[in-house]
Amino acid sequence: MTRFQKMIFGLQEFSLLIKDIFAHLGSVKDNWTETIQEMYLIGTKSFFLIFLGGLFIGIILAIETGHQLETFGATAWIAKTVSLGMVRELGPVIAGLLLAARTGAKNTSELGAMQLSEQIDALRAFGASPVEKLVIPRTIAALVMFLPLTLIADIVGILGGMLVSNQTFHSDISVFWNTAVTSLKMKDLFVGFLKPIFFGFFIATISCYFGLTTKGGTTGLGKNTINAVVYSSALILVIDFIFTKVVWELL
Amino acid sequence: MIELKNISITLNDNVILDDVTLNIEMGMNTIVLGPSGAGKSSILKIILGLWKPDNGEIIFEGKNVCKMTDDEILQLRKKVGIVFQGNALFDSLTVAENILYFLPGKKKLSENELKYKIEELLSFVNLSGTENLYPEELSGGMKKRVAIARALAFNPQVVLFDEPTTGLDPINTESILELIEKLKQNGTTSVVVTHILDDAIEVGDNFIVINEGKIVEAGSLEKILRSKNPFVNEFFKRFIEENHNPFIRISKEVNK
Repeated sequence: MTRFQKMIFGLQEFSLLIKDIFAHLGSVKDNWTETIQEMYLIGTKSFFLIFLGGLFIGIILAIETGHQLETFGATAWIAKTVSLGMVRELGPVIAGLLLAARTGAKNTSELGAMQLSEQIDALRAFGASPVEKLVIPRTIAALVMFLPLTLIADIVGILGGMLVSNQTFHSDISVFWNTAVTSLKMKDLFVGFLKPIFFGFFIATISCYFGLTTKGGTTGLGKNTINAVVYSSALILVIDFIFTKVVWELL
Repeated sequence: MIELKNISITLNDNVILDDVTLNIEMGMNTIVLGPSGAGKSSILKIILGLWKPDNGEIIFEGKNVCKMTDDEILQLRKKVGIVFQGNALFDSLTVAENILYFLPGKKKLSENELKYKIEELLSFVNLSGTENLYPEELSGGMKKRVAIARALAFNPQVVLFDEPTTGLDPINTESILELIEKLKQNGTTSVVVTHILDDAIEVGDNFIVINEGKIVEAGSLEKILRSKNPFVNEFFKRFIEENHNPFIRISKEVNK
């Protein structure tokens, strides 16, 4: 099989997995324990990472734009830049990339190890569906948890920008906060909060797909884990571009 | 009877099974023998419907497994238990949870009924009192016996064993072989895939010898030993030599 054929075959298998997820979505009610457990693992275990990521991106954004705007005496615009930048673009993308690395790697390595030790075959052999037991709980958990995590990244980023702006550019905190909040329109919030849902869905499904198709021992597991993170991260950037260019213009 | 008719399967350009036809008699222990990579485990995966063959059909209770719907396959899998080579126990679950994980209708059973079921299964595999241990706390032989208990939770008609004694010490090997015999006495059909000749001969009623994806000989032990096939002769060489060597035979009888 050539590389191109393998790619087409992989896309076909991935599409079938997505079809299976939608076909068996109702099974989530039988697997609440697994779903809640995954939500806990994504939510609480990723909180600190997202907090740090959001905070520092907000700080850097405020410093970089602040220095440029200071030359025109327009430091009042820092709040608007940080707020729009975080909510529309950087918050979702940074949270997505960090979660692609953390949750994506976790899903692929877990499912890949289960595949190599025949646990996936055992599920099938005893009449359980790996899609229902393993993939759907992880997908639902990602869909539910990515939005609040992105919201945390957004808020922490704006707060970080606010503190830096106050300390470095002597902006008034209440003016900054007021400008940051009022400059956000419903369209900004809609796009900013729709992105993490798409990111969550694709990170979970891509990582589960690579986990379930692991073969070739520990080398294969390492390769598939890297592939899951790389493909998820690349897709996040592509989806972000589509939202920025196409969806934004349509709204 | 389970019948495999003209089964062929190719994976990644490698021929795994080539025109395999065999019958598995119910209530008997059928042994699939052959060297590593011969395609033995593939037969088990095909019987369970985990792999679909490129050609041929598998007949179980008069129905072609290849043409079954997903629901029919699920029903089939409740009649056929499997013990994987690596046991495939879930590391995050206790012994009891591993055994009950797949049990159909467990939500309808009371806590006492579930406890009784666990005790019954663990007692059958001589592992009473281990229900709260995790797989990492068990030895290789104990893990294998938990895997057997899990396979028996459904009361299956057929149990498939993939290399059940590989990597085990002689005492654990003996206990696993005794369990396979015990299952036969209870009327359960066992299909045992192995490359270990002594174990195969100890529990086997019917033998299927496979090499490079093809069946080279099938039948009773006597028929296999009379075979003129060079591969069979080579595979059974040590056993034949031992049984024709009076010193080894006498030594075995004295030990008995």
